[in-house]
Amino acid sequence: MISLEKVSFGYGEGSSTVRDISFHIEKGEFVAILGANGAGKTTTVKLIDGLLKPTKGKVVINGLDTSKTRVSERARHVGFLFQNPDRQICRNTVREELAFGLETVKKDMSREDIDRRVGEVMESFGFSGDEEPFSLSRGERQRVALASVITVQPEIMILDEPTTGLDYRECSHIMDVISDMNRTMGTTVVMVCHDMEVVMSYARRALVMAGGRLLADGTVRSVFRDTELMLKASLLPPQITELSMRLGKGFENADTVGEMTARICSEMQVRRAGR
Amino acid sequence: MKDLFQYTAGNSVIHRMNPLTKILLAVCICAAGFISDNIFYLLFLLLLDMMIGLAAGVFKKALSILKGLLKVSIFLFILQVLFVRRGTPVFWIITDEGLMLAAKVVLRLIIACIPLALMLAVTQISDLANALVQVLHLPYKYAFTLTTSIRFIPQFMEEMGDIMEAQTARGVEFDTKNGLKKIGLVLPLCVPLLISSVRRTDATAVAAEVRGFELRTTKSGFKKYPFRLIDLAAFLICAALIAGAVLL
Amino acid sequence: MIKIESLTFQYDGGGEPALRDISLDVEPGGFIGIIGPAGAGKTTLARAIGGMVPHHYKGDFYGSVIVDSMDTVENRMTDISRVVGTVFQDVESQIISSVVEDEMLYGLENFGIPRGEIEERLTFALRQVGIEDLRCRTIASLSGGQRQKVAIASIIALRPKVLLLDEPTGELDPGSSRMVFSLLKEMNERYGLTVIVIEQKIMLLSEFAKQLIVLNEGKIYCSGPVRQVLERAKELEGIGVNCPRVASLAISLKEAGCGEMPVCINVDEAETMVRGLLR
Repeated sequence: MISLEKVSFGYGEGSSTVRDISFHIEKGEFVAILGANGAGKTTTVKLIDGLLKPTKGKVVINGLDTSKTRVSERARHVGFLFQNPDRQICRNTVREELAFGLETVKKDMSREDIDRRVGEVMESFGFSGDEEPFSLSRGERQRVALASVITVQPEIMILDEPTTGLDYRECSHIMDVISDMNRTMGTTVVMVCHDMEVVMSYARRALVMAGGRLLADGTVRSVFRDTELMLKASLLPPQITELSMRLGKGFENADTVGEMTARICSEMQVRRAGR
Repeated sequence: MKDLFQYTAGNSVIHRMNPLTKILLAVCICAAGFISDNIFYLLFLLLLDMMIGLAAGVFKKALSILKGLLKVSIFLFILQVLFVRRGTPVFWIITDEGLMLAAKVVLRLIIACIPLALMLAVTQISDLANALVQVLHLPYKYAFTLTTSIRFIPQFMEEMGDIMEAQTARGVEFDTKNGLKKIGLVLPLCVPLLISSVRRTDATAVAAEVRGFELRTTKSGFKKYPFRLIDLAAFLICAALIAGAVLL
Repeated sequence: MIKIESLTFQYDGGGEPALRDISLDVEPGGFIGIIGPAGAGKTTLARAIGGMVPHHYKGDFYGSVIVDSMDTVENRMTDISRVVGTVFQDVESQIISSVVEDEMLYGLENFGIPRGEIEERLTFALRQVGIEDLRCRTIASLSGGQRQKVAIASIIALRPKVLLLDEPTGELDPGSSRMVFSLLKEMNERYGLTVIVIEQKIMLLSEFAKQLIVLNEGKIYCSGPVRQVLERAKELEGIGVNCPRVASLAISLKEAGCGEMPVCINVDEAETMVRGLLR
């Protein structure tokens, strides 16, 4: 579905923000890209969508080489949610905004079909349709941006720090919608995220970057347990994972509050029985 | 394009001049370009522009501005050549006088654009504003407006680029090769751009206010901007340039 | 240091009051974290402390805000900002100059700091924030984290008694976010600076702040020492405020019948707690 082969990218001569990166993402995966500021995460997701063209190597998405095809032609298959919703929203009401996305990428779609699809999405997000995006709060605007990406029903969703500046509830809502698409429709998700708790709760695979290079590629749980790797990428594992590693034997792979509670309870019982 | 107004650090002769001198020099070159009717003098001024670029270590920037002006220049040149009817025909309806006039117009355009852009590239806007306030006693409010608006230009461009990128990702054909179509697509984006700019301007105003904006006077500057020998030399050059334009 | 009494504020043209009947007392040397869901009035509260409300953002203002025995309504914003140094949410737009040194000088010049003292203050602030090497760099060449540090340094140089920050780590990665908070902690502990910080990252607040104020719908939902507030993790999740996972773990263990235990605020404490349970 997505494949990067020995991809490098630099903004100017000699400088490179991404160096020699290769990975493949299959349909239906939920991948998080992790790393410190300046590690090359945003550049990587922009390379995937072809917003940036590799200076070296090859990026293939949906069987097409990004260097030879236009981004706008890909928009019906690939949805991109940016960190700042204000760059995406350009219409005066939520209804127009959602319809705009569809009109742009599915030119052959009938008016009725567009209205029906927009109606469906508005209902599931709880929008009336007459809201003015620019008078909504940041979190609400991010939901509008997400809704307009979802209206198009893309097969691949790319998210660049989608939850920055949102509160816990807004963040959970956005992530639940995306996770739901991933599970029910098999939408492939690639997400850049700084919140390790969010990554732990939603993503299954993690790519770890530092200094423009790909340091590691594995399951989220295994990556967070690699202390040396986390240090190298200046990341911190989620609290419960950290705790489970410190507790050692008997607490392996307890990464959520629920898992940890269950493990502690059963350990306590074992010890009580032993006494 | 967006780094056009960005400051380029350095320690050249030009960098060391008083900010006001730099601006005066730029203005004098422009003025000389408009006064003079001598094609050789105009060519000399163009050369001078590039030499300044070289001396200030921003030759690349000068070249890129020159390249940017090329399209407009060609358009202007053709227009002039076609519309000037006087003089002896050289080829088809083109006359020698038309060619000469067209060349002069284009040269003037370039001469007028380059020096100001170059001077801005080697002057920190805050230095310019401070000097305007301290030396010319311009009210600080105006100096602040000047500095913030110039500082906003690259931010504005960056924002525009980001918005266009986001719209391309959702299927708007900004990656089209058709220039006219692109302009049509840009217009609806003015709303988000305007909104973000207004927000930003307001945020900057508050940030300045909490750091004593209202208290600033002509004496507030930590750095002083005296005129030195270099500046004196620059003044002489300015005078010479204008004199040359009038006399030649 | 700061005393707010039954403050209610409604922006001009805004339907609902942004703040309702807020009363709070901040002692000198406090380190206060303010958290709450979007639209809870966090930024408005910060603006009220800094005097931006009602001087810059107009509206109906009831009650009183006293900062260092100055009434914020009766005094100019400029005078209040001598006491309260504010670092705003949007780093990009609060930077006024194009070079780090000029940015640092800006406030110092305006407030009429004597020439002899300027250099000392400038180097002090840069050293505190750990960016001495950036002094002559242009702002455009800095990363987001570095810009945030410049913004903080330019306020520290003014030596305010209160440091007020609105989501200072919003755009930063976990490493840089921790760095910013460690810096705040040091300024608080070593120089007795009162720190008030609005932040969504509850893990950072729990570890670094001394007290928490939870806002919801313009009102103070609860406030007090960090541990005391976190005891109510379940309730807080109900209004949309997250809690550190280790705090949730303590509560979850309590519910599972593993015994009574105080809430934990970091992994060290959680480890001690679990080891205690298993002994």
